[in-house]
Amino acid sequence: MTRLTGGLIDRARSLRFTFDGRSYSGHPGDTLASALLANGVRLMGRSFKYHRPRGVFSAGSEEPNALVELRSGARKEPNTRATVAELYDGLEAASQNHVGPLGFDLLAVNDLFSSFFAAGFYYKTFMWPRAFWEKLYEPAIRRAAGLGSLSMQPDPDAYDKGFLHCDLLVIGGGAAGLSAALTAGRAGARVILADEDFRLGGRLLAESHALDDAPATEWVARAEAELAALPNVRILRRTTVFGAFDHGVYGAVERVADHLPEPGRQVRQTLWRITARRAVLAAGAIERHIPFRNNDRPGIMLAGAMRAYANRWAVSPAKRVAIFTNNDDGHRTALDLAAKGVEVAAVIDSRPDARAQGNYRLVHGMVSDARGRLGLRGVQIDSDGRKEWLDCGALGVAGGWNPNVHLASHHRGRPVWDEALQAFVPGEGGPRGLIAAGAAKGQGSTAAALRSGAEAAAEALAQLGIEARPAALPAAEDAPAGLRPLWHVPGKGRAWVDFQNDVTVKDIKLAHQENMRPVEHLKRWTTLGMATDQGKTANVTALAVMSELTGKPIPETGTTIFRPPYSGVSLSVLGGGDTGPHFRPRRLTPTHEWARTQGAVFVEVGPWMRAQYFPRPGETHWRQTVDREVLATRKGVGICDVTTLGKVDVQGADAGEFLDRIYANAMKSLRVGMVRYGLMLREDGTAWDDGTCARLAEDHYVVTTTTAQAGPVYRQMEFARQCLWPELDVQLISTTDAWAQIAVAGPNARRLLERIVDGFDLSNEAFPFMACAGLTVCGGLKARLFRISFSGELAYEIAVPARYGQALVERLMEQGADLGATPYGTEALGVMRIEKGHAAGNELNGQTTAQMLGLGRMVSSKKDGIGAVMSRREGLAAETRVLVGLQPVDPAQTVLAGMHLFAEGAPHRTETDQGWITSACHSPHVGSSIGLGFLANGGARMGETVIAANPLQGQKVALRVVSPHFVDPEGGRLRD
Amino acid sequence: MTDLVPITALGARAPARHAFGALTIAENAGLALASLALRRDAAQPAPLGLALPGPGAWQAGQGVAAFWTGPGQWMIEAEERAAEDFAATLAAEAPGCSVTEQSDGWTAFEIASDRGGAPIRALLEKLVNIDAAAFGPGSATRTGLHHMSVFLIRRAEDRLAVIGMRSLAGALWHALGETAGRLKGERT
Repeated sequence: MTRLTGGLIDRARSLRFTFDGRSYSGHPGDTLASALLANGVRLMGRSFKYHRPRGVFSAGSEEPNALVELRSGARKEPNTRATVAELYDGLEAASQNHVGPLGFDLLAVNDLFSSFFAAGFYYKTFMWPRAFWEKLYEPAIRRAAGLGSLSMQPDPDAYDKGFLHCDLLVIGGGAAGLSAALTAGRAGARVILADEDFRLGGRLLAESHALDDAPATEWVARAEAELAALPNVRILRRTTVFGAFDHGVYGAVERVADHLPEPGRQVRQTLWRITARRAVLAAGAIERHIPFRNNDRPGIMLAGAMRAYANRWAVSPAKRVAIFTNNDDGHRTALDLAAKGVEVAAVIDSRPDARAQGNYRLVHGMVSDARGRLGLRGVQIDSDGRKEWLDCGALGVAGGWNPNVHLASHHRGRPVWDEALQAFVPGEGGPRGLIAAGAAKGQGSTAAALRSGAEAAAEALAQLGIEARPAALPAAEDAPAGLRPLWHVPGKGRAWVDFQNDVTVKDIKLAHQENMRPVEHLKRWTTLGMATDQGKTANVTALAVMSELTGKPIPETGTTIFRPPYSGVSLSVLGGGDTGPHFRPRRLTPTHEWARTQGAVFVEVGPWMRAQYFPRPGETHWRQTVDREVLATRKGVGICDVTTLGKVDVQGADAGEFLDRIYANAMKSLRVGMVRYGLMLREDGTAWDDGTCARLAEDHYVVTTTTAQAGPVYRQMEFARQCLWPELDVQLISTTDAWAQIAVAGPNARRLLERIVDGFDLSNEAFPFMACAGLTVCGGLKARLFRISFSGELAYEIAVPARYGQALVERLMEQGADLGATPYGTEALGVMRIEKGHAAGNELNGQTTAQMLGLGRMVSSKKDGIGAVMSRREGLAAETRVLVGLQPVDPAQTVLAGMHLFAEGAPHRTETDQGWITSACHSPHVGSSIGLGFLANGGARMGETVIAANPLQGQKVALRVVSPHFVDPEGGRLRD
Repeated sequence: MTDLVPITALGARAPARHAFGALTIAENAGLALASLALRRDAAQPAPLGLALPGPGAWQAGQGVAAFWTGPGQWMIEAEERAAEDFAATLAAEAPGCSVTEQSDGWTAFEIASDRGGAPIRALLEKLVNIDAAAFGPGSATRTGLHHMSVFLIRRAEDRLAVIGMRSLAGALWHALGETAGRLKGERT
């Protein structure tokens, strides 16, 4: 055990956990990483490509190595960083990416063949023989690729989403963030303070510096208490602000219950969208390392992390440690560990004039090698050309600090190189209203961070016209870093730069050699920075290496920028909690419940659920049911809910004029009490939507649309009303949901309706085809009746307020029992309209014109309407394809929608394509499959045989060209 | 009057109602709704004694209320009058205006808190991208909620109405109930 004194852990309680099946214990306040180190476990994973043994490298979410699978069963989650996994009792974790035990990974053989797996190897290998790619190479590479594995079971947890609004969002709760939040909170601004950690304090929790001569944690606790008591401040712990999006919206994930064994009744995570008028980026800085040969041994970590483990978690990675540094900060680790009784073997400082800051051995030189495959045993020091091996179990590497510019580079903000700091800092551009503070902008000493946070908050509030005085701050250290850049230790062997994707200095040299020199090419060729850590501990170092190779200064080599998310966001939380049938809202018709009890099978039509057909006991195939519904409707009377078709209420003195311009055909001339079929064109002259227009009064119409286009047509009408012709006196509102609309069709339709209308004359003379009226039914219920037909039968549509739709259908079924009343669904509806030759969505697919539909004369030449002029353009005039009916020459064969039409004997190629089949069904009336389609010069080819082909599946069928009106072509039944 | 029996938007005989801790959500099946839109040159009426409000606002009168839905357009509410032809009543009060029946086009859920405004604000935070602190009594707006378009009315500090399309009643009831239920789980 390597536990030290102190630390922010609760030693009074013990937590049991397992790692790779072995049991260990830790304390509340531990992370999985700190608890493993405390138990002497340094080996925590295997690297991606070469399967090299790896240990924990950092103490934060930037961790590249210690990726574990957390939990078991359906809640198992891969690629969790052990450094941010809060320890809880019963935690189960397993290492990833090895075959066989972690200590003896069979795939480590990859490391022996590393020359073959250098950067870009897959552009040069696995090419021969070609046939092997699909069957052998690709599956093998797939199996080897990726980190971690999924449980393959549905996620059992609940997630939530929410929206917050504030004046100031403070991103990060360290020194800069706390002083920013105090400044803004005390000024009365609405503040949200978010930190990804489970405690506020940031690096104040990891350092031994005093604030006002007391432990920093005391100041943190006081600040936290004050903020918690302010009603205008909201603290979100365990919350990662992962991206800056448009309009000042920040995305954040709050890990509500990840740290609990089971979420219980809580959600597991919440997705917050935070609209912030201003934001302070107090995201701190991430330390960088110095690559040297074999620098990836378990036990080699960032020096700042080493002292975080010692100070916050009271653990040392080994009994005897060494430090390799190019700045003063590395010495802090030596001092802090020594103060806790850890043996510091040496501090190796690459600066020739460096001086020891305590009672430890100082060597002027560099670390040039490390040994101990499964755990560091020693490092090689190169000093003045002399090489010496030094025994130690852990090495802290301090290469300087990189301001955490991730969020500042969203919205294409480009970081700028600061020559004095030897680091990138946030530049101009980037998300508007986002102000960097503290270490995130290069002001990382404790005093500078505190001051910078307070100033940033004051400035942000000043921009909002809120007066704020920077909070009074405690006295704190303000030491400069004294860094002298050393980007890597030159020499033979592989020196790792990006640990997670296994990219070495050699790979960067290879990229340079292959002329992949611009940073975007370097990144993609080597995959550096493309792993789950986005290269947070590698990017700048890689740039510096490339800069050395090209001889160009770093800013000219390029900059690394980042896209959201800052760290991984699960798809479950992005989904926001709606899963399964509730993933999308469903619209139900007024008769849905009734249809359900009738045993209807439903089909999704956009957001709607519509009854597709109503099987009766004994029917085993849907065709039986649909054929029966069609025959019953054409013989007796059928009943169908058609509420889903859009309805728009149009009123006003200029309503008629308005509709004349909306439709291709004339509508102003429609008489009160009549309905007219209407065609709408798109602006480019293509046929767009069809429906009916009913005139209920002088200045009152109801427009109907297809189900699919209800929204778009209403939107177009509103656009026309508000923007195109605002001078017209017309008012619109949707009434699709307000009226239940039921189709009553068949020879007995009139007789059935006579039984429910209240003394209304339904005779053919009084209420002819295409008439409409307001009336009452069933003893006083207000209703509207339209005599229109989609089926070709004598038919009506009756509308009542939606709350009565179900009762109306029940009454119709009851009253129509002796008339053969039969409910029918969308399938039968489709069969009947195809038999009648009515165009529907398949024919109005956005590629067809009124001419092609046989409705050319509907486009009025006497008045203008949307699309009319363009419908007459030259490009459309040459079109010869028109709507025809198609019937198989051999009645046993099937017509398939989508097949293309060719002359007999012609080859089946694009050049000889003469049209295509839009709709097809089995027609009980005809006794065979039938179809509708567009055929070149179809009007002149009645009776001709054409070939319909489906080359993809090798199908061909001979069809006879016929009239599209298979049933009652004279239209007598309609007008009966 | 007709002997046909109506059903609620959720498909039942009686309106639904459920308590989730401090919040109770009740289906308001008796609410009559009608849209009123000014025609050109029409003077703005004061139908049924209502002072028609401006954008973003809801104005309550005697058993009736109105909220703004567009330039020169309002939705008029009348408690417990869904069974009558409210649109006809309103049309008589607003000559020169276009009036359209809307009672059956919408489903209204009334949400009441027994602990003041905080539970209402907490619910709003989880449902809609509206600044809850700026949506006080007398506010009305249209916004997106779980892929649906709804009207929100803050009737009082402790009362909120959510009005959505009737055909989406089930989806809206589910979304409101799930969210309120989760809040109940979070509360101590």
